[in-house]
Formats: sequence, C-alpha cells, structure tokens
Amino acid sequence: MRQHAHLHRRALLKGAGVSLALPWMDSVVRATGTKPAKPPVRLGFMYMPHGVIMDQFWPQSSASFLTSPPPAIESLRPILDQCLMMKGISGVPITPFGGAPHALELSTWLTATLPDADTRSRINIAISADQIMANYVGGHTLLPSLELATMPQTWKENQAGLHEAYYSHCSYRSPTQPVPAEIDPRNVLNRLFGKTGGSGRVTSANPLDRQMLDLVIEGARDLRRTLGSNDQGKLDEYLDSVRAVERRIAAIEQRQQEAALEKAGVRSTARDASDSPPIEVKIPEGDKRSEYMQVMCDLTVLAFQTDTTRVSTYIGSTPNGVSYPELGFTDKHHSQTHHKNREEMVRKVAAITKFNIDQFAYMVNKMAGLQEGESTLLDNCIMMWGSGLEDGDKHTRENLPFIIAGRGGGSIKTGRFLPHVRGNQGDLLTTLLACAGVPVDRPIGIASKQISEIHV
Amino acid sequence: MKTRLRNGRWFKHLPHLRCGSQGRIAFRPRVLHLSAAVLLVSVPLSPCRAETDEPAPDEATLREEAKRTFRRKVEPFVNKYCIDCHGPRPEAGINLRSALKTPGTASSSLHWKKAVANVKVNDMPPDYADAIPSDEERQEFIDAIGSLKYLAPRDPGPFVIRRLNKVEYGNTLHDLYGVSPSMADSLPEEVTGEGYLNSISPLQSELFLEIANKVVNQVVSPEGNPPTDTQKRFFGTTTPATDDQRDTARGVARSLARNAFRRPPRESELDVLLGVFDLGRENQLSYTDSLALMWKAILVSPQFLFITPAAEVQSDDTIVRLDDHQLASRLSYLLWSAPPDTELSELADRGELHEPEILRAQVARMLDHPRSRALFDGFGAQWLGIGNLEDQVFDPELYPQMDIRLRKAMLDEARLFFASIVRDNESVFRFVDSDYTFLNERLAKLYGIKVSWTGAKMRRVQLDDPNRGGILGMAATLASTSFPNRTSPVRRGVWVLEQILGERVPPPPPDVPELEEQDQVDMEGLTLRQRTELHQSEPTCANCHRVLDPIGFGLENFDAVGRWRDNNKAGTAIDSAGQLPNGETFSNPAELKHLLAKKKTEIARNLSERLMSYALGRQLDGYDEVVIDQLMVKLEQDQYRVRTMITEVVTSYLFTHRQIKE
Repeated sequence: MRQHAHLHRRALLKGAGVSLALPWMDSVVRATGTKPAKPPVRLGFMYMPHGVIMDQFWPQSSASFLTSPPPAIESLRPILDQCLMMKGISGVPITPFGGAPHALELSTWLTATLPDADTRSRINIAISADQIMANYVGGHTLLPSLELATMPQTWKENQAGLHEAYYSHCSYRSPTQPVPAEIDPRNVLNRLFGKTGGSGRVTSANPLDRQMLDLVIEGARDLRRTLGSNDQGKLDEYLDSVRAVERRIAAIEQRQQEAALEKAGVRSTARDASDSPPIEVKIPEGDKRSEYMQVMCDLTVLAFQTDTTRVSTYIGSTPNGVSYPELGFTDKHHSQTHHKNREEMVRKVAAITKFNIDQFAYMVNKMAGLQEGESTLLDNCIMMWGSGLEDGDKHTRENLPFIIAGRGGGSIKTGRFLPHVRGNQGDLLTTLLACAGVPVDRPIGIASKQISEIHV
Repeated sequence: MKTRLRNGRWFKHLPHLRCGSQGRIAFRPRVLHLSAAVLLVSVPLSPCRAETDEPAPDEATLREEAKRTFRRKVEPFVNKYCIDCHGPRPEAGINLRSALKTPGTASSSLHWKKAVANVKVNDMPPDYADAIPSDEERQEFIDAIGSLKYLAPRDPGPFVIRRLNKVEYGNTLHDLYGVSPSMADSLPEEVTGEGYLNSISPLQSELFLEIANKVVNQVVSPEGNPPTDTQKRFFGTTTPATDDQRDTARGVARSLARNAFRRPPRESELDVLLGVFDLGRENQLSYTDSLALMWKAILVSPQFLFITPAAEVQSDDTIVRLDDHQLASRLSYLLWSAPPDTELSELADRGELHEPEILRAQVARMLDHPRSRALFDGFGAQWLGIGNLEDQVFDPELYPQMDIRLRKAMLDEARLFFASIVRDNESVFRFVDSDYTFLNERLAKLYGIKVSWTGAKMRRVQLDDPNRGGILGMAATLASTSFPNRTSPVRRGVWVLEQILGERVPPPPPDVPELEEQDQVDMEGLTLRQRTELHQSEPTCANCHRVLDPIGFGLENFDAVGRWRDNNKAGTAIDSAGQLPNGETFSNPAELKHLLAKKKTEIARNLSERLMSYALGRQLDGYDEVVIDQLMVKLEQDQYRVRTMITEVVTSYLFTHRQIKE
C-alpha cells in the first residue's frame, strides 16, 4: 500500500545561508473530512567505529533498563520507553580478512556481507540495507536516500589488500558502487531545500534540463554500444545516476505544480493540522564537533519531517583516528581503544562513546517532540545507532552494540532490553526492513531469519 | 621459531600472522621481490623496450622456468602438506585447489601470498598435521612462489574508462572555460590514484548538472548584455540567419565537443548535441540560449566526465594500445591533473603521441611546466602521507604555533622540495638525503635556523645542519606522523619502512595496546636500551618493534611539530642512537638518514611501484611485477633519476595499453 496523499508537504524556506527557518503556514489545514493516511515509516542509521566499553553500555538487566540505564545511554533516558536494546546480535565473521577489522567494521555494517575475496582490490560487496529501502520507497520522495558523514571518505589505509574505500563507506547502491556521503551541512541544505526558499519554491527545477538529460542518455547509449564490456558496466553506472537526476527533477516539478495550485486556492495535498511545523536548522559558525554533528542530525530530522526522504545514513565518525578536543583530551579515538582495561584509556573511550550517543539522543529526542498526525515523528521512524565492533580492544563482534529508537509505525515493541537474543547483523537488518514495510524477498547478507522478538 | 635471515628480510616471522592477520597483501611483499631478484640474476635479462607491444624474449624463458619450478616445487608441496584442508572446502578462505589449476591469475596470487606468509612463519601446516615440511622444503616453496609472477598472463591489468576526479574536473572547467576550479568544491572529496573509486552516484550526477548550470550562467551573458570573451570564442559573435543556424550550431558543437571530449567528436555525437540545440529552439529559447543548453549537455555527457576511447575498437584482440587521445588524457591528468593542452592534442590528432621518443619528449616538457605541481599535490602528498596535515589536531596548549599558516608553510616546504628534485632530475635517494630545503621566516624559526630575511615567502635555504634536509627532517612529515600531544616513534618507524623503503608492516594484533601507549609516562625517563628491552618483554610485539622502534627513536630529536630538541619533556637527554636490523648503527638522525639514503634500490622500487599504482589507479598485481622488474633495470642504469622513473612509468606497457575483454 502506498500512502501518497499525506506526503506532499511543502518545506517553505526563508532566507538562505547561515540560519534557515521554515515558517509554518497557518493556512495549510487538512481538507475537511479526510482522514490522513498513515504516515510512512522512515529508517535512519548512525555510526560510530571501534566498539564500546561494554559494562558502561549494556544494561544490567531487562528490569533495570528503564529505571537505571547504563551511563553510556543516559541522554536517552527521556525516551527510553521508545527505545529497544538487544544483546546477542553478532557481526559478520571477518575471516578470511583477519587483518582488516577496521576496514570491515563499517562496510559490513549495513551489508552483513564480506567483500569478495578474489576481487578484494576492487569494490565488490553487496547492496546495503539502506539502499534496498531506498530502491523500494525512494520513488515517493524528492531524494531516494540521504547519506551524511562527519569526515571526508578519503582515508587511505590498506588492510589485508582490501580496497581502501571499504574503510569509510557503509552505503552501497550495488555490489560495486559505494554511495558517497555529504559532509558539508550547507550543501545538504541546498540539496534538500534549494538555495532560494521563499515564494513557495521548493527548489529550482528546469523541465528543459530533464528533456536535455533524456537526449544525453540516448547519446550515452550510442556510446555504450561502441565500448568493451568492462566499460559498458561503468557507463551503466553513469546512466543509472543520470536517470536518478531525471526522476528528481520530475519530482520537483510535481511539487512545484502542487505549490502553484495551492497558491491558486486549489488544494492538492493534505497534512494534519496538529503536525508540528518544520524544525529550524542553524548552521554553526565554529568547528565544535557536537554542533557540527547536531546540524547533521537536524538535517536528518528535517528531511524526515518534510518527507523529503525516508532513508538516511549518518557516518558520525569513521575508523580513522579522529580526536575529540571538546572532551578535554586530544588523543585519537583508535589509539585509546586498545586499552587493556587501563583506567585512563577506558575513561576516554567511554567519554567518546557517550559523546556519540549523545548526538544520536539529540536527534531522536527531537523527533519524539514533533507531532505527526496522531503520533510523533519518532513513532514513525526506526533510528538505529551502532558500531561495527563490540569491544574495540579485542576486535570482538559477538554482541554488536546498537540502540533502536522509534516504534517503526507500530511494528516495534520498544521500552525493552532483551539480554539474550540470538541472531546476526543480517537477521537484524532484514527484520528492520520488514518493520519499515519493505518486502524482503532475499535475506540480507548472512541473514537466515528475522529477529521475531523485535516485533510487537 | 627459527629466524631466517636469508634475503636480508627484516620481518622474518610476523607474530601477527599467528592471529590470522595478513597485513597488506596486495603487491608489496618484499619476500616475493627478493626471490624474484635472485631469479633475475640467474637468468640474464637484457633490457627490453617496455613500450613495445611484443613481450621481451626473456619472458618466455622465465615463464618456462617458472612452470618447471611450479611443477617440481609447488605442486608436490601443496599436495602433500596443504590440500587436505585448503582444497574444495577451503579453510580460512585459502583455496589452493583452484590456485593449483590457475597459478598465475590475480585471484590465485592472493591465495599464494597468504599461503606463503603462513608457511614462512611456521604457522602452517599446523603442529598437529601428519606431515611437517623441513626448513629446506619451506624455503624452496617460498622461493618458487616468488617466481609465479612469470606465470601471470601478459596483460596490462583490469582497465575501465575512468571518470575525472574532483580535482581534474575542476581544473578542466578552469582550463577550458576560464571559470574558477572552486566550481567543483561541492563535490564529495575523493581518494586519487590507487584507491580511486571511479564510481558515479546520483549525488555526483546531480552536482555535475548543478555545476554545469553555474558554468553556463557565468560564461553566457543574459540576453541583451554584451557576450563574454569565452562566449564569443565558442559561440561566435553574431547570430546567423535562421536558415544557417543549425549548420552554425553544428560547428559550435564540434569545437566545444573537441575540447570537452578531449578527442574529435563522432558525427553521431554531434547529431545528439544538435538534438539538444533543436530542443532549445522548439521551446522558444533564443539561438544563444539554445547553444548554451547544448553546451550544458556536453558538460553532463559521459564523454566529458569520463576519458573515453576515440573510436570503437574493431579488433578481436583482448589487449590494445590506448588510442593517442586517450593516452594524451591519461598523461595530462597524471602530470598536470588537467586536460591535454594544444601541443598534446595536436600530437594526438596526428597520431604521433604514442611514438616513444615523442612521448618521452612530452613528459620532459610537461614536467618543466609549472602545472606539474599537480604531481606533488596528487601523488607526492599521498606518498608522504601529509595530505591531512591541515586538518590534523594538535594540542593547542602544547603547540600553539600550529596555526594554518605554519601548516601551509610546512606543506609548501615539502612541495617545493619535491618539485626541485623533479626539476633537477635528481636521484630518488635525494628525497631522503639532501643539503637544502625551502623555508619562510616562521619555518626557519621553528627549525632554529638563522636567516637574514623575513616574511612569509618560501625561499631555498642551504643547510649546514646534516640532521635537516630530506623528508626525514621535514616538519610536514614529522608532524603528520605524530599524535596530537607528542611524537610517536612507532608511527615514525612504520612510516620510514613503508613510505621510504616499501616494507610492509603488519597491523598490531587486537588486544595489544599500542606499545608506547602502555608505558608512556614511565618511558620518558628511560634510555633507549631500557625502552627496547621493555618492548622485547612483550613477545608478540618484539619481532616487529625491534625493527620499528630504533628507527622511530632515531628521529626522537624532532618533536611532534618538527622542532629540534636535545631533551625530552621529562628533561632526560634524548638518545637517538640505534641499529638497523642488518647491524648498521647510527647515533643521530643525520646518520640514520645517510644509512637509509644508501638503500637506493629499495627507495627506487618503492617509489616506482607507488607511482605506477597511482598512474593506473589500482593496486599492482601479477604481471605488473614483471614490468616493474624491467623498469628497475633501466632505472639502475640511470642512477635512479626521478625523471627517468616518471618517463618509464608513462611509456610502460601498463600505462599505454588496455584490456578490452576479460
């Protein structure tokens, strides 16, 4: 079932640049008598590398989860009833790439698949869960999916002969196509809502551009016929990406038409009168990491709230030795993770972990405060925070740390910690996609089942 | 475990392999190279012209020899000791059954490399196996695997049309249309050279369209305004009569496409562009705006965004030479990160560029051009590992001077030094050992060098202090290998081994703190001897660290931002004396530098391999190794001069050929 009607909400932007507010239009009221369709389920992922300090992350017991949560997740306390934690989800076993724990922690995270060993010097892995969802629901929104990162994806470190891009990419459009992430909040804002807000324009779209691209695609097909088979594959990637741009222009055109109709008094879209106005996004001037990460989180919230996309990934940090001066020390994350339980290093890793979870909490707390129909935005989301290692010291992946926030439109039973779940990363991703309404005809990566405990 | 010093290798048994770690197993295991060198000595190799299409006659001999070795040494060893576990249901992902069937392929070579690594450290076969090979058998197996590169089919490796990277794309817009390269800033950052993704996503395509719009809007004046110079150059100055407009537009398309596609456009391609022009006219765009729409189509076409062949290959061959236009682009983007200029384009049009003498002359000409700084920005900075210096975190209380200007000066020093070595065609070992550098006032002050001038301008400075001069005594590299709050002898040791000598240092196993993290406070007051003993008290670490640490500690007189110091923070005199694994000793950074600079072959081979990988945009493997062997022969004959190295890479079989079918 597709739920189109409710979804064409407009984001009206005023003023570009540093601060951008989205004023609520009082005049937009749901057409009388129509009950809004159920809001769509959105799926978001946020990543931190190198694992956690386990006794500060895992709740003591199911019973204590709500009453005395572990220190790492303290900032989620206001909405713990809307969160779910599970212990017992294992990562993909990384033999035969034993020497590449950090090259694989991120790239296996949403694929639950190991790179192909024989072609390891190229990218050859699997489509990732977020992109599977984007393929399914991306046609309904201006952007099929949103990919964000805090650092450029340019880390050069060769582990076990694997292509270096495995280090810093989690989203794969196809087995051979990593999806690059955006790191500049201004660019993200422009991409989502256009530079010139105001006057009802969502973003600029030139219908002629779309027709021009049509002709370019025709020409590219001619070129394709003259190429060898390897080159043809590369050109297919090009064609695929240009078609996505075409679709995007078409979607923008449609929104523009709707906006024009609304202006003329003809209502074509509906949103609930009680919906919260779109949040305000401020791009910080300084270089504080918390502020930077929060604006990326805000952009995710806004993109979900305005139904600009329904799928997001945010690589909050990549496994490349980043440091957190804001926490009062400059040591790099990885240098502290092989701590052998030395107190000072454990303290620093715990602080870094808490810092990352705090930013996630900032995002989901905000979502929990936004009304959407008769529920909240968070109620209709599945937001997963996690890491690709359990213990960064020993590189273990038996119990991957992750937190799920949001009820997925009623498909997830939250407010629980399940200490003894059995399953793997693929099972988990498969289940989350099912909760998001994606018919998963094939299991993701190493999945063999769904984690039934997640469901209501 | 018995230590084998044969071949003079520094990492005889790698304890980390016991933990299932393979380290980097791409192309650089020196083990293989050295055994190959042994083979090369026993079979005389007359230098061949790398740029010819015919394999050197010696390759056939070597291939036959390798086949015999394979049958005599490898097959029996594998069948006796390995195949039970690494056969059809391969343990640990090592499938030697398939490797035996196709020993020379790239995928088999991965299995061989892993196998040899484990056999070498007596990790395989396991203790409980029925049969354990003798040390002699092991060594024969290891040597035999080293000759397998001669079984690799002679091919230039995987080849796929390449998209311009972000830098190249920005420079191309600048060179062709005079707009600022910063037009490309909104594109995602990319790894260039080896590790380049060469993929294209909807995000990038969207940005290519957005940027094309910007370029066109900037260059084409609005109706009624005087045209810009670039506009006049491509569109002409007058609007032709209605009947002539399509013909004129075709001419405009031809010249725009010739530049943008970096080759003559095919007539069918012009037809497509004319279709876009017509689209504009049908939608009531003016003549000029229709041309602008056509131009925009060019800017989002695959022929602009990718380096595409000039014509369809009508050949049953699986391997062909790059056509001259492809070669011109490949060369130009390698040395300049920019599109071919008029001279290169004309040589390509005449079909002469591939002629070895002409190609060599072009390399020389291009290296003389200031644009060749792109080779440092792209390749040099990556090789030295200093690309991230501007964003690296330094503790502001300890190193308040590390502002952006000082960091830029450090990078400028490295860049100018690199450029001077290329310009003067010095031997590659000069990168390590030289008696001059480039400084401005602040950098000179940081180095404690008295100069008679002031200001931010970088100047060449003759050095009296033998500790400076060369990349080991350079702030950019010393700072890049440091932690935010202190030096890292381990990282410096790894850097010297990997970046200068091309060794492969396996990553530490999990569950082991970085050694210097363990006892940082305690170690401050210890002598080198005490520290070394401390490292050796951890057996898992000792094997590598007894090699790394002395080199790293040998640079301890340089602090985390490259300043000279006699005492460490605790006030203890720094003892930078040490020993290389081959027994050579040094007592300060200057002596270490001289010892390392003597390793010309290692330095040259490492740099050649890295440049080749960068030029091809992929890891090296299989037959590549044979090509590098040949290149090394030539390089040695010419005192390892850096321009010879660059020229040999450009004229090599790998750079000038492509595989059109698998």
